[in-house]
Amino acid sequence: MATNTAGSNDPTLNRRQTKRPKYSKFTQQELPACKPILTPQAVISAFLIVTVVFIPIGVASLIASRDVVEIVDRYEAECVPSNWTDKVAYIQSGADKTCKRELHVEKRMKAPIYVYYQLDNFYQNHRRYVKSRNDEQLRDAGKGNSTSGCDPETNINGVPIVPCGLIAWSMFNDTYSFSRNKNNVTVNKKGISWKSDRDHKFGSDVFPKNFQNGAIKGGASLNETIPLSQQEDLIVWMRTAALPTFRKLYGKIEVDLEKGDVINVVLKNNYNTYSFSGKKKLVLSTTSWLGGKNDFLGIAYLSVGGLSFFLSMAFTIVYFVKP
Amino acid sequence: MDSKRPLLLQSPRTPNDQEFPTIPVFPELPKSKSSSSNTVTFSGVEYGQQVDNKTSSNSSTSSSKSAMSIHSMSSSKRNNSLNHSGSKKPVTVRYGSKGGGDSDGLTMSQRELRDEDARLVYINDPEKTNESFEFFGNSIRTAKYSILTFIPRNLFEQFHRVAYVYFLIIAILNQLPQLAVFGRYVSILPLAFVLFVTGVKDAFEDWRRHNSDKVENNRLASVLIHDGSFIDKKWKDIRVGEIVKIKTNETIPCDIVLLSTSDPTGVAYVQTINLDGESNLKTRYAKQETGSKVQPRYTGLIKCEKPNRNIYGFMANMEIDGKKLSLGSTNIVLRGCELKNTSWALGVAVYCGRDTKAMLNSSGAPSKRSRLETRMNYEIIMLSSFLVALCTITSVCAAVWLKRHKDELNLLPYYRKLDFSKPKVEDYKYYGWGLEIFFTFLMSVIVYQVMIPIALYISMELVRVGQAYFMIEDHRLYDEATDSKFQCRALNINEDLGQIKYVFSDKTGTLTENKMEFQCASIWGVDYSSTKASMDGEQGEYSVQALATCNTIVPLVVDTPDSDVKLLDYQGESPDEQALAYAAAAYGFMLIERTSGHIVIDIHGKRLKFNVLGLHEFDSDRKRMSVILGYPDNSVKLFVKGADTTMFNVIDKSYNMDLIKSTETHLHSYSSLGLRTLVIGMKELNTSEFEQWHAAYEAASTAVFGRAAMLKKISNNVENNVCILGASAIEDKLQQGVPEAIESLRAAGIKVWVLTGDKQETAISIGFSSKLLTRNMTQVIINSNNRVSCRKNLKDALERSRKLMSTYGVGNNDGAVANQIALIIDGGSLVHILDSEHEEELFQLASLCSVVLCCRVAPLQKAGIVSLVKNRTSDMTLAIGDGANDVSMIQMADVGVGISGQEGRQAVMSSDFAMGQFRFLVPLLLIHGHWNYQRLGYMILYNFYRNAVLVLVLFWYVLYTAFTLTTAINEWNLGRSTLLKFPQLYSAGQRDEAYNKKLFLLTMADTLWQSMVIFWPPLFAYWKSTIDIASIGDLWTLATNSKSDFNVN
Repeated sequence: MATNTAGSNDPTLNRRQTKRPKYSKFTQQELPACKPILTPQAVISAFLIVTVVFIPIGVASLIASRDVVEIVDRYEAECVPSNWTDKVAYIQSGADKTCKRELHVEKRMKAPIYVYYQLDNFYQNHRRYVKSRNDEQLRDAGKGNSTSGCDPETNINGVPIVPCGLIAWSMFNDTYSFSRNKNNVTVNKKGISWKSDRDHKFGSDVFPKNFQNGAIKGGASLNETIPLSQQEDLIVWMRTAALPTFRKLYGKIEVDLEKGDVINVVLKNNYNTYSFSGKKKLVLSTTSWLGGKNDFLGIAYLSVGGLSFFLSMAFTIVYFVKP
Repeated sequence: MDSKRPLLLQSPRTPNDQEFPTIPVFPELPKSKSSSSNTVTFSGVEYGQQVDNKTSSNSSTSSSKSAMSIHSMSSSKRNNSLNHSGSKKPVTVRYGSKGGGDSDGLTMSQRELRDEDARLVYINDPEKTNESFEFFGNSIRTAKYSILTFIPRNLFEQFHRVAYVYFLIIAILNQLPQLAVFGRYVSILPLAFVLFVTGVKDAFEDWRRHNSDKVENNRLASVLIHDGSFIDKKWKDIRVGEIVKIKTNETIPCDIVLLSTSDPTGVAYVQTINLDGESNLKTRYAKQETGSKVQPRYTGLIKCEKPNRNIYGFMANMEIDGKKLSLGSTNIVLRGCELKNTSWALGVAVYCGRDTKAMLNSSGAPSKRSRLETRMNYEIIMLSSFLVALCTITSVCAAVWLKRHKDELNLLPYYRKLDFSKPKVEDYKYYGWGLEIFFTFLMSVIVYQVMIPIALYISMELVRVGQAYFMIEDHRLYDEATDSKFQCRALNINEDLGQIKYVFSDKTGTLTENKMEFQCASIWGVDYSSTKASMDGEQGEYSVQALATCNTIVPLVVDTPDSDVKLLDYQGESPDEQALAYAAAAYGFMLIERTSGHIVIDIHGKRLKFNVLGLHEFDSDRKRMSVILGYPDNSVKLFVKGADTTMFNVIDKSYNMDLIKSTETHLHSYSSLGLRTLVIGMKELNTSEFEQWHAAYEAASTAVFGRAAMLKKISNNVENNVCILGASAIEDKLQQGVPEAIESLRAAGIKVWVLTGDKQETAISIGFSSKLLTRNMTQVIINSNNRVSCRKNLKDALERSRKLMSTYGVGNNDGAVANQIALIIDGGSLVHILDSEHEEELFQLASLCSVVLCCRVAPLQKAGIVSLVKNRTSDMTLAIGDGANDVSMIQMADVGVGISGQEGRQAVMSSDFAMGQFRFLVPLLLIHGHWNYQRLGYMILYNFYRNAVLVLVLFWYVLYTAFTLTTAINEWNLGRSTLLKFPQLYSAGQRDEAYNKKLFLLTMADTLWQSMVIFWPPLFAYWKSTIDIASIGDLWTLATNSKSDFNVN
């Protein structure tokens, strides 16, 4: 009522029901904070730190990469007999697909030596392809009939396919066997897939059924007496590659190969990459702590480290010459 | 004499200096006719009968209440600065007034209503009233929905947001089996969730509105029924035409025209706090003709205007007993007001329910959109074209790929166009080349949808709520004196506070406190500011008496806990009048009681009753008010009080030239100290004069048409040859911290313009004391009253200031700072400049100046000035003010800030932000505005950046999947939580552009680069490796995440 404010306010009364905001560091936005300030010294030392960290890493990874011994043999062209001009017709025919290759070991290879097959121009990441599988069916024996998403490889004459879908259907089926000086070199095909895949994604009580019985065969057949969790080639294949050029593990050679060894490879050139002019390569490779042979990472580290060294030097000069 | 009730009309606005436009002091005054017949004598005045002496304690308490300092005045500093400015002031002579923005309530109501625009209300006959037109009943409905309409209407309203429509389209696209990129139902979920939450919120709010409507509609009011008795009726059943009785402290149920009140003269006091937030009492009047009636016998017809939103205007006339009376805004009481100090009032309902002015005004404030958001929309359009481009590239590439591999598709292991599983071999999921491309396009739209960040809108809302919270809770913005926190009334323009380039400020109540203090007086040519002489002598007494009587103050007796002590509270609409009344009380002339017929004044303990024979209200043309008092000894005196400019026109020049001269000198020095001055005059009316006036006054009071004009004429006639008594000066103190605030605003590169209704001298002196103007500024004054000279002035000023700028600007940089230009322009000149081709010149001139001071401006001109700047630059404008006259300016500016101060709450109601003090503008703009802007700008860019990186990584990947939109990354909600933990950054830098087109493009370029960095190195590193989709997807997600997290931190 008394709107006239001329000194009539009782201060003690006011203080009690005040609307004054409660003080806290949060509401007053006074929480401690720090913000880097870009001083010349800070920038130069940041660049120097990057240099110091990156160049050793780059050198180390380059050395690691150089240590890796890799033998790559592209065979899809040479393994077609010269009397076949139509390669697609050859691969689809019933002719003998055996092909012999020789690999020369240029540098000592320490076990384990990984055997890969490498496909080029194969879009395992194609949208239609990636989706054409049914994980339930692979995992659970009771879900054998669930083939949703597997089109166009769902069933044959009404009987569902296990494993269904394009991915399984198009499984790689070239085989390799190796010998050195007439002695067989065994390839261990156990443990080439992810353990989690074997344990959780592929059921140990799921058996292949009605597989590759269709009008056209897309690739490998499966032994119907072995459960999916032990069909490691399938498991490897089913983990679809991210890039159109990819390697997949075929097996491991667990003996060292000496320099100068000649490895004879007898391979069955079954898989049809000719229809899309895809390349096939056989790869033998050792590994380092960094993985396979790839200089990119080392070079990348070295160049970034070098660049920051250059920049730090440039800034230092600028800073001292013309601060 | 008691029966001769003078017509009391409430003034639209009391003599508040701010409201008078125009007219600087001019030296040569037009000679007014000297009439020798009227000699004013100051002797032989006897004080009439003593009324009673009971509450003599009042005198002490009330004088203690009125804070007054007669002698505390004017530091020498201020004097200096004033002399400086005063010497430069060009003197212009102008006669008459322009009255540009003045609205005269009286003339409004005098306009004749046309029948088709009118609503006819038959008093006490609701049947007949509602017969031909079905007026709305008094039930109100603020709820938006009913149970049936809720879902469709709420959905409809929610989908007004374009973002939701976009979201919906994406969700629908996802439903097509050919396109299902993401899970079908999953894609609807986010939208459904948002819609659901908003819907629940709306439903809850509406439910509460339903409840409050119910309560409101079922309140009871007594309504007159046919047999003449009153019954209680629910509010919702009240109909137009019914007569409603309201008791004290009750709320008015609908808009009613007063018929009679418990006061025999028909006065009712109402509090309009619910309507406009002003807590002082307003007087409303019942018509004399209806007030005296025997209650139940009302018959008559009211013709009033159609319902409208104007709560300060009402136009109607009433036919009663064959007489036609005009009604104005003083005769209507609006729904939501409360009756106070009046035991009952009777009124006829004219507007009910949703037609009431309160309901028509209940819609929310006009919403402003932030500059940032507007700009962001532009960028979103750019992004969508980018999106379309990406989709087009993808689908074109897919088309080329499909074309080239056309023959291989059938058996391609990873494509397998043909399905052999059925007896008849058919295409499997292949719809022909054209359709495939089309589907690819749609699919890519779905995959790249995040390019347009929908989450951004939600994030922005959240961030703004947080910012509002921080602003409200800030100690720096809390006003101790009024115990008010900062108010955030508009949530969507927080960030505009960080981009302000222009501040338009009102003066009174914004820069100053609007707590008027009586500072000094000049009486009978003696300046009472410097000498300690007490005001005695007859002239002194008359002066004080004039101050005590010549006003519209209503004294209210307020009980205190101590029953012996009673306080007098002077309620009035003008703080100036209050200050004067308190001053008079301090000098022993205490206004104790006011009715429409008489006033009681306690003079040094003796109570005298004066009859108020007539009261000529203040109006903006005359700029003065006068009261005619009948003394107990039957002498009649006229007291006048008004602005100096108009008062000197009516002063009896022949009487005492020295007196006039010295008063004028005093006035000049007062006003150059920044004081608000009023001149007081008196005149004794002899019998013939009184009779003449009285006859005319009676005639005018009962006139049906043109009453206001007649009254004005009469007052002009009687306010003549007045003997000057003196002048009063009231100080409106500067608010605390204003000079510092203005200084730091200026340091921040913000241009401060002051727009005031005050006189030029007052404005300039306030400008100096608030450090708006400094000594080394060159003042450019445009002050002319006609079109031609005004334009010439403007042109000259422009040239002069250009020259100044160029000489100093080129010469040396420090000199340019020292030689700033201040433009001072008055409302009279603005009339000729605004809305003409000279606006451009004014703008150029103003943009050269560092300070612009506009004085004598009308409310609409304030808005005009704001729009002058707003339309010509892209700079952000902020208007700050506290009074009703600032509302238009506040609404016009990009950001409107209201000061919750003395002048009511209209400014606050129309503002976007409200606070207690002008100086809070500094932390608001420089800290919060800066933060809000930086953070929101950063957040928007970050959102764009993050989503674009994702999309681009996806896009690069698509290049490696034969353009088939395989998605490596399935994790969308990245770093949302990071939005909430913005670091407490404080940088001293001022208002960097945190978000603009260049920055946006830069960010996008950066995005392109970063997405490449994220994409290609892993790609090369894993080229020819056994990496599978999920792994490389994880890798990229990790890269994007850590990259963006790094960016945030």
